[in-house]
Amino acid sequence: MTDVRDIIACAETDINTAVIALLNRHRINVHFLSYYGDYAGSLLTSATSTSGETVLAQAQLAKNTAASLEIAHSIVDSCAFNVRRVIDRKLLTRPYSVLQNTLRTAESAAHMMGAEGTFRRSAWEVLDTKLPDWLQLGGRSRRPPKNAGNAFISYVNGITYARVLTALRLTPLHTGIAFLHSSIERQRHSLVLDISEMFKPLFAERLLLRMVSRNQLKEHHFDRDANQAMLSDPGRKLVVQATRDEFAFTIAHRSLGRPVAYDELLYLDALALTRRCLEGTPYKPFRIWW
Amino acid sequence: MITAQDVGGVHIKYLYHCRRQLWLYLRGIRPESLNASVQLGEAVHDTSYNRNSPVDLGAARLDFLDGRHWVHEVKSSARPTEADEAQGRHYCHRLRNLGIDVKGAVLHYPKTRRIFRYPYTPEGAELAEADIAEVLTVASSSASPDRLSNSRCRGCSFTDYCWTE
Repeated sequence: MTDVRDIIACAETDINTAVIALLNRHRINVHFLSYYGDYAGSLLTSATSTSGETVLAQAQLAKNTAASLEIAHSIVDSCAFNVRRVIDRKLLTRPYSVLQNTLRTAESAAHMMGAEGTFRRSAWEVLDTKLPDWLQLGGRSRRPPKNAGNAFISYVNGITYARVLTALRLTPLHTGIAFLHSSIERQRHSLVLDISEMFKPLFAERLLLRMVSRNQLKEHHFDRDANQAMLSDPGRKLVVQATRDEFAFTIAHRSLGRPVAYDELLYLDALALTRRCLEGTPYKPFRIWW
Repeated sequence: MITAQDVGGVHIKYLYHCRRQLWLYLRGIRPESLNASVQLGEAVHDTSYNRNSPVDLGAARLDFLDGRHWVHEVKSSARPTEADEAQGRHYCHRLRNLGIDVKGAVLHYPKTRRIFRYPYTPEGAELAEADIAEVLTVASSSASPDRLSNSRCRGCSFTDYCWTE
């Protein structure tokens, strides 16, 4: 029981005080996904890992324009690096170098996010060439997703967001103070948006391509109508299982010298950011190295 | 940040093991609960000598004090270290300051079934004072101390923090 750190509720859930007390005692967060699979909210245990000094350092860093732009830059760069690595190295070489050039001269986080959007659009187009007709995205759409491909990406992104939130709650960082996304403006945890950038391609795009090439995804895994799509019950079961197995997959970590689960990579990246805040060591966001 | 009164057994132990660990601990980085060997230590603590109740001195919390005024500490490691000895010495020092005539520290290693006795001496008292001063020096430094060599970090709950890229 103590090894369980979070539960993601993918279906309608009723919860009562006794359960909440039990979960809190074992420090287990519960994240709820909505009907369409996007993140609906969380039941979080009390924040016992927080450290005043770290949060102050984090806030100072976020206030410091040069420092926070540097972090935002490395996040966007690593995200694009991972997208290119997962989708197609050759076809995305040019969009990636264009992005890098824009990042070098970008003067604000919004500018960087715009450049990332442009890169992402090229990446979605390349992704479509590798998908069967019925799964093609035809541009990214959210809330609700327009078609099956988008429904898949949204669902896995929702799970990734939830797991990043769990990972961040284990570190002393404040989930509301971000570097790329705007801090505490929206109801969401902005820092979770920052950190999940690098991990979305590792899970969403990569799993989509793999499941397509293995011919695992079928039309009956999606409920579709003219303008929106979502995973059907068997589809959701398949995708949730595949994502869960992926999070548990382990690789040899280079500097820690031990096997590390993908799930732990989220936590380790958050720790690297903690170190950037508290000690000023350079922060190199997660890049797929294998 | 902290005063001499707040220095507890964990601070002394970390001071001897790794100054960086102490510096981070003082700044609220506490990954211990995620660490398997810390969980083991807690389990050893919970299941060993549970007829005796712990003594809470505020900052320090020792396992138990026997009728002849020896401080007892139960360790989950196999071998005694300088850090363990310093921790026992610190508890003796704390109790002496409270007016208890402590004889010394007894360290128990249930894993290897060894028991070590360290009588409390005037030299020990000086060392204990020096350790407290040293903890305060580390606490007030603004830069973090360097990491130990990778091999000496084995088993430390801060490894993930210090060694991730």
